[in-house]
Amino acid sequence: MFSRWNWVAYGFCLVLNICSPDASGGLVQSCGHIIPESPVLALGSNFTALCILNETCLDFGNIYANQIIWKIKNRVVPKEQYREINRTVSSVTFNDTSSLATPLTCNILADGQIEQNIYGITVTVGLAPEKPKNLSCIVHQMSRFTFVMNCTWNPGRHTFLDTEFRLKYSWPEEVFPDCIPKGVNNSCTVNDIQFFVNTEIWVEAANALGKAESDRLVVDPVEIVKPLSPQNVSVSSGILPTVLKLSWENRISDAVMLLKFNIRYRIIGDTSWMEVPSEDTASPRTSFTVQGLRPYTGYAFSIRCMKEDGVGYWSDWSEEKTGITTEDQPSKGPPIWRIIDASHSPASWTVHLMWKALKPFEANGVILQYEVTVRDKSSLSSPLKKYNVTSTNHTLQLPKGTYEVTLIARNSVGASPPSVLLIPASNSEAPVKNLRTLPKHDKLWVGWTAPNNYVLKYVIEWCLVSSSSDCVIEWQIALGDVQGVDLKGIKPFKCYLITVYPLYADGQGSGQSVKAYLKQDRPSKGPTVQTKKVGKAEAVLTWNHLAVEEQNGFIRNYTILYKTIDGNETVVTVDPSKTEYTLSSLTSDTLYTVRMMASTDNGSRTGPDFTFTTQKFGKGEIEAIVVPVCLAFLLIVLLGVLFCFNKRDLIKKHIWPIVPDPSKSNIAQWSPQVPAKHNFNSKDQMYPEGSFTDVSVVEIEADDKKSFSEQDLKPFDLLKKEKSTSEGHSSGIGGSSCMSSPRQSVSDSDEGETTQNTSSTVQYSTVVLNGYRDQTPVQVFSRSESTQPLLDSEERSDDHAGGADSTAQRQQYFRQNGGQDENNTDRPCFERAKQITHANEGDLVGFVQLQVSGQSSQPLGLGMEKNTQEAALSSILQTYTEGQTVRPETVEENPLSVDDMPKSYLPQTVRQGGYMPQ
Amino acid sequence: MAAADSPSTALRRRDLCSRGIRLAGKMRADVVDLLDVYVEQQGLDASASVAAVEGVPLAAVERWDEQTGTQRLLENLAAYRAFRALLAQMLEEQREQLGEADAGLGRALAAVLLQVSAFTYHLEELLRLESRGIPGEEGDGPPPPPRLSLFEQKLRGLGVLRELAQWAVRSARDLRQLAKPGPATGTAPGLAESP
Repeated sequence: MFSRWNWVAYGFCLVLNICSPDASGGLVQSCGHIIPESPVLALGSNFTALCILNETCLDFGNIYANQIIWKIKNRVVPKEQYREINRTVSSVTFNDTSSLATPLTCNILADGQIEQNIYGITVTVGLAPEKPKNLSCIVHQMSRFTFVMNCTWNPGRHTFLDTEFRLKYSWPEEVFPDCIPKGVNNSCTVNDIQFFVNTEIWVEAANALGKAESDRLVVDPVEIVKPLSPQNVSVSSGILPTVLKLSWENRISDAVMLLKFNIRYRIIGDTSWMEVPSEDTASPRTSFTVQGLRPYTGYAFSIRCMKEDGVGYWSDWSEEKTGITTEDQPSKGPPIWRIIDASHSPASWTVHLMWKALKPFEANGVILQYEVTVRDKSSLSSPLKKYNVTSTNHTLQLPKGTYEVTLIARNSVGASPPSVLLIPASNSEAPVKNLRTLPKHDKLWVGWTAPNNYVLKYVIEWCLVSSSSDCVIEWQIALGDVQGVDLKGIKPFKCYLITVYPLYADGQGSGQSVKAYLKQDRPSKGPTVQTKKVGKAEAVLTWNHLAVEEQNGFIRNYTILYKTIDGNETVVTVDPSKTEYTLSSLTSDTLYTVRMMASTDNGSRTGPDFTFTTQKFGKGEIEAIVVPVCLAFLLIVLLGVLFCFNKRDLIKKHIWPIVPDPSKSNIAQWSPQVPAKHNFNSKDQMYPEGSFTDVSVVEIEADDKKSFSEQDLKPFDLLKKEKSTSEGHSSGIGGSSCMSSPRQSVSDSDEGETTQNTSSTVQYSTVVLNGYRDQTPVQVFSRSESTQPLLDSEERSDDHAGGADSTAQRQQYFRQNGGQDENNTDRPCFERAKQITHANEGDLVGFVQLQVSGQSSQPLGLGMEKNTQEAALSSILQTYTEGQTVRPETVEENPLSVDDMPKSYLPQTVRQGGYMPQ
Repeated sequence: MAAADSPSTALRRRDLCSRGIRLAGKMRADVVDLLDVYVEQQGLDASASVAAVEGVPLAAVERWDEQTGTQRLLENLAAYRAFRALLAQMLEEQREQLGEADAGLGRALAAVLLQVSAFTYHLEELLRLESRGIPGEEGDGPPPPPRLSLFEQKLRGLGVLRELAQWAVRSARDLRQLAKPGPATGTAPGLAESP
């Protein structure tokens, strides 16, 4: 904010012309001014300014000091800070300059209360420079003969003012030009620097409020030199395979300083540096031989230097230079192991020898070949077999026995020490004990307890267990004095089978194996469960083990979770070795959802849901129900059959009553002159003699509506009349039989006429009035012994075929008056078909009675206990009453019905003037 | 002399001597480098024979090993004061001849001049430690050089630089003698101690 005070207040010089008549033609004269003029003030100090009015303006303008108003940037200064010194001088005092602003103006309140500006000043507020601190200098070598000195310091607080910093340096008798920083205030670089003379260096800071100097630094510039690093570094291999010689050029003259060095080096590919001991390079030099290096190994070198006495600064590290040591003979023999395959032949082995390529620091060069020597230990006389191999494996066919295999690796310099492997006849020695594993970061530690015998070394085999491929064996050898190794390259979440063999001087022990994971995870999928068998209250679940690639760890258990649709989930934990489990206590006929979860130490994974429905019946339940029911049914049927068989006569009597054959009846020989000889059968005897009445043959005119209607309206009267009038009457010719109804016959025809027709008419029926089997007595027609009328009827029906209307067709069976179609009663065909089995003795008889006797059919209907029949009969009767007639030709329309007719005992044809069946 | 000094004085002397030796060594190296540049720049023959520069004591003296320390310092001081005046004159002549065309040679001359001045300061300090008055520069200074031709100026410059190089070697030996503790101040330095 104070920087604003540095602004030049463009208006502070606005001087008011308080008119002066004498001023015409000259410069405008101000009526006053302020003292001090544009001061620079220390922040926080007090400040007093005076405004002095010109005497010339007093009288003319009536302007006095008591009218002065002080303003800071258009803000009136409180009058408490004013002081009228005399009539022309007013002062203002500020106790703290931090409240000041620019411009500070002196104004006057002239006549008319018009405020006029007299004078103004710019006030600059800031701080004096602090003493620069922490001055330090360093001489940088720019080239062989060029040095510059750079000094830095802490300039201190901000002063809000223009502050100049100068770096000063001098000799006791020589003062050098100041170094003035450019663009910064805390550092400066001196180009002309001389060594070996103590130079006094200091910093001076100055501004309008003061000046400050730093502490003086007295130093010989040569003691603060940071030299350039050595250049042209070269690396050359020496005679020995473990040394490399470095050479370089120093870029600083010995006359200026002597140097010491640091040499660092690293194997190419490594990131960590090694350093040559500093005391070895503490003297001036331009070369150094680094020893203790690995043969046939690439190294990178870098050098730096500083003043020999350690005063000054280290140079930067030089650029890296590389070199390779020369070859040396391999330092050790390759680790060797074997896989013995005895499956091909019982007498020999296929021995797969395999060995590991030496590590670079062991090979000490390029391995040109391996030499394999096999010696049969069981036969001292057998010659050695030697093989030169360039690969890292070799397969031998050997008879079973004990062999000593020696392996040597060769490079251009020499051969390695031999590696020896015994191939014993059997792994009969003691195995390791307590084999165990433990993950350690990205390595898998395998540990064991050594056997009691002395072990030369151990062979650790391991392979990635896979369900889809064979176990590819990896192996490594550990010394006999260790009881644990770290396996590298082990992948997490994979199952490894690890086997440890102890190798003894005289054989090898049997292998001990363990499965291990470097890191476990939850399974990658859950088991897929399904039902093997589902019962009423149980279900047998089955599943397959997860593939080893899916397990991601040791499966600790399976968990079966099942539930009904709306029920709680039930959890069952199952041993991981099982692949089947029976769920029990299930609810029958219920849909269950089951899923299965496999768990490792690090989590679980659930398989897909599987649903099944328990059965409604248990095993054997259906059989237990069905078989007894069937047996009971069969038993009932059998009993029924036996019963029916035993009671067949009774049944036959009730169901198939013996119907007298008219052709065999005595009536065939019956004549009016000869009284009929009633020959009742057993059935006929059911009816007492007294219950039968004589049969009367009645002929009814087809158009005698009136008489018919009367009979129809008085059905019960008819019965009464029959009962009262049938006694003593005998039927006409052919009109009565032993089965005749006791009803009174009503006939208008004379006896002669009736007699005349006798030759061609036979008695049709007998009406039995007594009740059947204790039922209300009904009138029953007994079949006539003659078949003649039926033939006539059929013939007549043929004559009228095709001419009948539909109504007449439906009524064909009930046409009673063959010669007069209009007299027939309408009756639906289907009714007849329904009633054909049981209407023989009821409806039809009743109907015939109706026609014959001219009485109502109502009693008949009641006697049959069939409502439908009653309705049909009512309809028939009603139609009939209205005078409609039924055409006889409709009989021909349904031959099948006609075929049934003989069983119905229906009168077939009644010619006019003939008999009407009773 | 030195044995009677207080430890701080001895330390100061040793420091001055050490610094002076190294300064003399650097000065010699710089002068040698400057000689090559000067010969080439001035078009002179490096093998040219130059007469002794007037006003400068010869570096090579007989019975050097018999000199006392003070005597050595005084001879050195006289020589370097002369060199300072000569080099300043050479620098001025150089600027007059070449202007700013060859600033490199001028900077090199100025650097050597500074080193000569610094070495003079060292000598004066050592003389103060010896409790000897420092001879006035006015009376002992070389006489004003005669007006020389340009070529003669070049040759004289060559002679000054050659003599300065020799004096740098001698001064290093002298200071090494002075730095030795005990009364061995007057003994002659071995060959291996040569700077």
